[in-house]
Amino acid sequence: MDFDLENPLTSYDERRPDSVSSLFVAESEQSLFDSCDFSPSMRQDAVALIFQFASDIDPFVPYLAVNYLDRFLARQPVQGEKPWMVRLLSISCLSLASKMMMIDFSIADFQREKGFIFDAQTIRRMELLILGALEWRMRAVTPFCFLSFFLTFFSPNDPPLIASLKARASEILFKAQTGSKCDETEHKLMMYKPSIIAATALLSASHELFPIQFPSFRDAISSCVYVNKEKLLMCWNLIQVLVIDGCDSAFVMDRSTDTPATVLDRHCSSSESEKTDGRDSKKRRIDDYRGDTFHLPQLIQS
Amino acid sequence: MEKYEKLEKVGEGTYGKVYKAQDKATGQLVALKKTRLEMDEEGIPPTALREVSLLQMLSQSVYIVRLLCVEHIDKNGKPLLYLVFEYLDTDLKKFIDSHRRGPNPRPLQPSVIQSFLYQLCKGVAHCHSHGVLHRDLKPQNLLVDKEKGILKIADLGLGRAFTVPLKSYTHEIVTLWYRAPEVLLGTTHYSTAVDMWSVGCIFAEMVRRQALFPGDSELQQLLHIFRLLGTPTEEQWPGVSSLKDWHEYPQWKPQSLARAVPSMDQHGLDLLSKMLQYDPANRISAKAAMNHPYFDSLDRSQF
Repeated sequence: MDFDLENPLTSYDERRPDSVSSLFVAESEQSLFDSCDFSPSMRQDAVALIFQFASDIDPFVPYLAVNYLDRFLARQPVQGEKPWMVRLLSISCLSLASKMMMIDFSIADFQREKGFIFDAQTIRRMELLILGALEWRMRAVTPFCFLSFFLTFFSPNDPPLIASLKARASEILFKAQTGSKCDETEHKLMMYKPSIIAATALLSASHELFPIQFPSFRDAISSCVYVNKEKLLMCWNLIQVLVIDGCDSAFVMDRSTDTPATVLDRHCSSSESEKTDGRDSKKRRIDDYRGDTFHLPQLIQS
Repeated sequence: MEKYEKLEKVGEGTYGKVYKAQDKATGQLVALKKTRLEMDEEGIPPTALREVSLLQMLSQSVYIVRLLCVEHIDKNGKPLLYLVFEYLDTDLKKFIDSHRRGPNPRPLQPSVIQSFLYQLCKGVAHCHSHGVLHRDLKPQNLLVDKEKGILKIADLGLGRAFTVPLKSYTHEIVTLWYRAPEVLLGTTHYSTAVDMWSVGCIFAEMVRRQALFPGDSELQQLLHIFRLLGTPTEEQWPGVSSLKDWHEYPQWKPQSLARAVPSMDQHGLDLLSKMLQYDPANRISAKAAMNHPYFDSLDRSQF
């Protein structure tokens, strides 16, 4: 009955087709949000608190806590923005997330450290309020559940490459959830299915790390029956803003004609001509990016 | 909890009392199940949180009884959790009994048996694809909507991850009739096959209108099985004689299944024999069972 963020179904095995389809069914049962009209600044404060609280534990715990926070805020309008309310909400989301993931997290110790004084009953009531609003759907289906599945589309199937792709995609997912300067856009991510966000994060990672493999990876993912190409493209644009060039100037690709967004766009619509172009276009693309990617892997140059 | 009016006790689930109740505002009938999940100083207990959320995830299938919500009350300062499920008016045991006794005894219609078995396999496949074993499938745990011809699996989860209870919370003897031979022989490693054995026993019971293996102790239960299917051998079930509770048993030869379920057709007998394979590794899976020719005359698209 354990809960693993990458495996909410307890026995998921990406080699078994019924397991994969269960995951996509589970995803479709978790409702998406058409609008998120809660106060961005309140969310921002709560996210900052969660990460401050959870600075030295498994990063999946604050990630899950923010997932609960977002879903709670989308369902249950919080009146006023009292600082104590933000604190109570943050600590309760974190407490629920740590219990789901069996991470030992003592609220009492933590409160002592931060000078909070919510009593056990207050936290319990808040926990129940969150559970009620989320209908006890605490086995959140997040983008992390889909990484392994989409990684099976990556070729070559070379464990170190796959591992670095997964690591970078995970960084992108963490960053997209918390990007500090983009408070207008970041919760728009909730309007996309977790699987689409996962596919986008992997494609972004592959675009950065393994541009040679990117076109075939992109084609494989966009032809997957579970993936809506249009949504993938929209999500790609959002992720670029949030993670790649939105908040962090180190990621900015300043060439207006060849932003990452148009890269995916062009690739999606022109895969035919590319196949005939073959090596030249690939080579050109590597040259294009040599200037603005920070660490092109050696394997591309060799 | 003031939201609901308790109407009557409808049963002792494996894990506690179940009440039929009515939502005062909407009139909706529900089944209320008190849990033993008490809250403490650290708020919601982690096991309760994980198990109830798993139940919530599973109950999205129409072949699983839906968990409508979770209520909590303060009883003498002790908060208690109640699970609120959708209410169905009968279960498969009562349904079979009504065809055996009463004013109009008659066999279950073959099309009803076929449809119920398919829905059962579908629900079991859903649990298994989520990594959850039921471990206590029996007609009492299968709720039935007679009007709509729907069957749903109930009494899932909550503490089941660890042991199969011999005696329930309320000291009622837990039935052994549907228990797989590897469980009776003390296997330490459970698999999804334990549920498929139960499905086979339930299938046969719908046809016979009485239990296939009505044992009243673990030994009697095994002997019932061995008398019909033959005493298992190392050839058909490698490793059986090294199981913890294996002893030397009388050597019975397998009998014909057709004699135990005389009115079952050939496809049905073939499917049943695949569900009652001794070696758990050879037992048919729920998913594969759904594709068995026995269901070819059923319109699968309606499910």
